[in-house]
Amino acid sequence: MEIAELKEKLKVQIIQFLNLTDLTPADIKNDEPLFGDGLGLDSIDSLELIVLLKREYGINIQDPKEGRKVLIDVNTMAAYIEQHREK
Amino acid sequence: MMFYINKTNCISPQQTFGDIDIEQLHASVDNKLKVLEPPYPAFTANAIRRMSKSTRMGCGAALPLLADSTQPDGIIIGTQVSGMEENGKFLNQIIEYDEDMLTPGNFVQGTPNTISSQIALISNNKNYNITHVHRGLAFENAVIDTAMLLNESPQSTYLLGGVDEICANNHTLDTLADWFKKEDCANNDLYKSNTNGSLSGEGAAMFYVSNNKTNALAQLKAITTIHNTDVDVVKEHIRNFLLQNLPQGEKIDLLLSGENGDKRALHYYTFCEQLLDSGTPVARFKHLCGEYPTASSFALWLACNFVSGQATVPEHMLKKAAKVSALKNILIYNTHKTAQHSCMLVSIP
Repeated sequence: MEIAELKEKLKVQIIQFLNLTDLTPADIKNDEPLFGDGLGLDSIDSLELIVLLKREYGINIQDPKEGRKVLIDVNTMAAYIEQHREK
Repeated sequence: MMFYINKTNCISPQQTFGDIDIEQLHASVDNKLKVLEPPYPAFTANAIRRMSKSTRMGCGAALPLLADSTQPDGIIIGTQVSGMEENGKFLNQIIEYDEDMLTPGNFVQGTPNTISSQIALISNNKNYNITHVHRGLAFENAVIDTAMLLNESPQSTYLLGGVDEICANNHTLDTLADWFKKEDCANNDLYKSNTNGSLSGEGAAMFYVSNNKTNALAQLKAITTIHNTDVDVVKEHIRNFLLQNLPQGEKIDLLLSGENGDKRALHYYTFCEQLLDSGTPVARFKHLCGEYPTASSFALWLACNFVSGQATVPEHMLKKAAKVSALKNILIYNTHKTAQHSCMLVSIP
């Protein structure tokens, strides 16, 4: 799967997992921060995103420091998935 | 004395929130009466996208009551299904992911006490907080709990509510069990149907209550409940309730009947009507809100508005009326699935 295609799929999954029903994939920019001023996600969402990575890509993130580096924006998540995916 | 209802709010399938208009009947769709959800400005975007529908409408109806009131000494909610839709999602996750990697969102939103706890969290209320889940008498048990607390502590105030949502899975099961109609039926034809079942409904009604009569909308004078399917036992129970609680020389000015278009339940309502004077007006409310376990809370909201003069009884509600005027005593009678029955006597303060 091309990285651009992966990013679009990831946006759909983020909307679905986090119930962001008033957003479309086009509303989420690849470099828009997921937390804070960007999408405004919070700590419960980070847990949902870690579960998303496990369920959809077979990726286990157990170290919180690693999670902070991965869950920055769609670009960082997609890059990490490309390197570590088992599905 | 029971208690006084000082303020009330209701989110229902009709225009009951904000500017009340129950004259114009909103139609059912696919045998369901779904609530007209208002905007919820008090909730953050992150909070609202996680809330189940019952939590949304419960908090949405409750918080405006608390905005300009003293902090209640307790939050007491009656609900049977609560966030059952979210509960179903959580249970499906258990199966789909083999009990692994479960997230807390659906679980938290799917538990019945989420409504009362979410109201407490948002309003920063750390007092008594409880949820009654006794199926079709969940709201009535919340009322009884509130009355007992006010009896022990007369200076207290409480937030009392009844909330339930339509859940797809429960709707299917109850339709298979004939509790909801299998044939198409519009809510304005509900009482003509003469078949089994009713229309599915939902709603949230909230009441700020106390022993303070000043500016009260209504007084809830008495309540009774009974589990029984024997119509003679139920009839006798209602007769005794009226004998014990209706003051000498007074009469019931309006019966708010929970008649719901299910031919199996009709005779309970007919017998209740026969206990009253032949000229007593009878108004039905299930074509407004549909059938759900805490529908009696919607009836109590209606009664508060009728006795306080904030709304008049619309013609489409009237089954039998010479003339509805000067409402002093309203009797609410409701049965859930013909086994759980309740009566509430509501009067002017």
